[in-house]
Amino acid sequence: MYTFQKGFYTDVRIEEVYETTITYTLGQLDESKIRKYKAAFIRVFDGSLWYYAATSDVDQVQNELDKLYGSARPNPDIDNHPVVRAFEVHQDNKLCYVESGVDRVPKAEKEKLLQSFFPILNAQPALKMWKAIYIDAKKIMTLYTSKGTQLTYDTQRAGYALRMNFSEGEKKLSESYQQATDTFEGLRKDTEPLQEHIQKCIDFMTHAVPVKPGKYTVILSPLAAGIFAHESFGHKSESDFMVGDETMIKEWAIGKKVGSDILSIVDCGTIPGSGYVPYDDEGTKARENYLIKDGILTGRLHSTSTAALLQEGLTGNARAINFEFEPIVRMTTTYIKPGSQTKEELIEGVEQGFLIETVNHGSGLSTFTMAPSLAYRIENGKVVEPVNISVISGTVFETLSLIDGLSNELKLLSFVTGGCGKMEQYPLPVGFGGPYVRVRSMMVQ
Amino acid sequence: MIKEYYHATVIDTTLNVVNSRIESVRSKNITKTSLRVYKDQRIGVAGAIGSYKEDELLKEAMEALDRGIDYPVAPSSQLTMTQDLRKPLIAPQDLVTEFGQLLESLRELQPNYIFSNKMSLSERSNILYNDAGLKLEYADRTISAGLIFKEKSSTSVFDGAVGFRERKYDRKLILDEFNLILNAYSEKVSLPPNGRYPVVFLTEDAPVGKFITGLKADVLAKGGSLFSEKIGQRLFNEAFTFGQCLDPQEVYLSPFFDAEGVVNNGYTYNLIEDGVIKAPYCDKKTAHKFGFAPSGSAAAAYDGVPQTALLHPTIKKCGKSFKELLGGQTGIFVMMAAGGDFTPQGEYATPVQVALLTDGERLLGRLPEFNLSSHVYDMFGQGFRGVTDRTFLPFSGDSMAVLEMNIAAP
Repeated sequence: MYTFQKGFYTDVRIEEVYETTITYTLGQLDESKIRKYKAAFIRVFDGSLWYYAATSDVDQVQNELDKLYGSARPNPDIDNHPVVRAFEVHQDNKLCYVESGVDRVPKAEKEKLLQSFFPILNAQPALKMWKAIYIDAKKIMTLYTSKGTQLTYDTQRAGYALRMNFSEGEKKLSESYQQATDTFEGLRKDTEPLQEHIQKCIDFMTHAVPVKPGKYTVILSPLAAGIFAHESFGHKSESDFMVGDETMIKEWAIGKKVGSDILSIVDCGTIPGSGYVPYDDEGTKARENYLIKDGILTGRLHSTSTAALLQEGLTGNARAINFEFEPIVRMTTTYIKPGSQTKEELIEGVEQGFLIETVNHGSGLSTFTMAPSLAYRIENGKVVEPVNISVISGTVFETLSLIDGLSNELKLLSFVTGGCGKMEQYPLPVGFGGPYVRVRSMMVQ
Repeated sequence: MIKEYYHATVIDTTLNVVNSRIESVRSKNITKTSLRVYKDQRIGVAGAIGSYKEDELLKEAMEALDRGIDYPVAPSSQLTMTQDLRKPLIAPQDLVTEFGQLLESLRELQPNYIFSNKMSLSERSNILYNDAGLKLEYADRTISAGLIFKEKSSTSVFDGAVGFRERKYDRKLILDEFNLILNAYSEKVSLPPNGRYPVVFLTEDAPVGKFITGLKADVLAKGGSLFSEKIGQRLFNEAFTFGQCLDPQEVYLSPFFDAEGVVNNGYTYNLIEDGVIKAPYCDKKTAHKFGFAPSGSAAAAYDGVPQTALLHPTIKKCGKSFKELLGGQTGIFVMMAAGGDFTPQGEYATPVQVALLTDGERLLGRLPEFNLSSHVYDMFGQGFRGVTDRTFLPFSGDSMAVLEMNIAAP
């Protein structure tokens, strides 16, 4: 296919993309498009530096390759470089979305799906402004490497998001309702959950009271727990932050106790949905990676380079947002494993605290944060009233050790809007989720 | 029928830094083209990445007209403007050598820190033209670094960031600036008692999110915003003027026109003027729908219909120095405050991960993490002190906003 020069490691990643975006504002069509393109990202490694090029002209890949070879220096011993040695080699053709491809669904059906929600959105006087968005994306990835990998696989997601602005006098609320999965057929199309959500939003807006800042017990919904897993620990498991850093290598030693005994966090690229990547963007096969098992640090996420440099196993987490960027260490679907209690039992055990149902966004640094939207005060084991909370936060290790309850159901969520951001690369589709999670103390403001 | 083209070209050379050394070199040269056709108050758009066949793109755009997307306003017309801000900088082929030397100096001057992330030479060109007499051309070139730093003894993923984006390059001044910040970061100082203090943000980092959500024309017009029915009311400090700025002297790598070819007077459009809400922001179609003036706030994907987006929000500068705005007090310079937000009613709270104490001329040391809170009507009302013309940093040209806010130990 391509002529790979000796003395270098080389890979060529080609993306063939099909995407639909349909947007209505207050029932009026704002956008309706199908995007199709094919483009490539090329990497050459000479053992000293990596050289990258992105091109939208796949017929020019060989020319681009030759230019990169011209910048790099041939290394006769490149095959023995630890990073090059670590690359997996696969030949596979794993196309899962041929029959169920979103490219086979007429755009009119996708528009009709959004239109089916209009009567409900228009029926509520308190719902002043709304936007209905349908998005799907199918990618066929092809990867060739100088070590012999030849892969073709596809990924896909489809879903809709309804963004709503409620108002009643001076009381306001912005909320959204989103459904996403891996096929159009698999999308939930009934309207009852939306109706329920709208009623919940109106009730929240009408009755929400300001929060009294302080430290409280907090119960996180599966959505909030997923964001918590992603932000609080997932980002810290991305091992590119550890390369060459002796302090971090010691601090993050495998086997260290990092959370309560009931806590296990997993990242897995094989789960269908927005975090599905059967192979990562370097050709490493996806697998289930325990980050924490029973409170013990069990693993971390790697690209081939970080795995080789830290002398650990590959995990399949080298991902790029699109053909313009190089793969870096990223999450796939990250979730907290369920426990044994019911949601009601978790709430019954709270004297003073909060239930976080929906979250606008989260961040994960030394202090992780979540900005809740729908949140409720719990008193003496009962949910008593909605509250406006700006942010909940905590330090990672302290909070992981304060988890004292997990409900027995696991909910994994996919998304078609937003995504994970890391430095310049945003948004990357990921999945996350978990059970209801009770944390004994978090800062609530 | 009117035919309109928008070409946007990105030419970047980007170095990735790992463990304070260059790890990779990435070259990018990508042109995206948008072809829009306007007919019978409708718009049809087709897009291409890289090369394209003219007749095929036009056919696609014509077919897109049938999708029924209304565009009941005239495309921009009869205006020709050019701004080429490209100045000679380091040649792409010399970037590895120059930034390699910068990093080497940094390793020597700051041996207790590890640096990572990106350093770039970036060029943009944007051309928007149509057969109604519109031709707008913009080109710019910058050099930039966004380096995250971490103390070698720290157990955090990273501790903070230093960086710049400028149309000039001076290795010595850059090192002076990084040293100023890192030396201050190395000095731990105590958090003042809980209370109200002048808090300082780089203007581009100021917490203006409530204006971005609340001054969007359709949300405001339909009553969904905290600011609905408040146009004409003085709700903020008389010294507070907020809006959109696309002035090429102030804004880098972003054209002076929006995606619909609107060019504002002085390249700015005020949404709040002297504390009074004047107007929401909107694209031309939304402006027409709700009876507002277009604010030149349209953005578009290369294959998409223009949509409302506030481009480069800014707060008007007040001409005072940083020290004058602090009024003899010490200020808290927020370097990193991730994750906070406003409630629907306007209360604001965020944890602050990295902040330095300052007297307006010097950085005095690093504060421990704390929580910051206020209300949109207070921080930009009674608590608003002003925005400096520029920082006291040796190289970067950013301005700084000083707001009184409440701080509390976690």
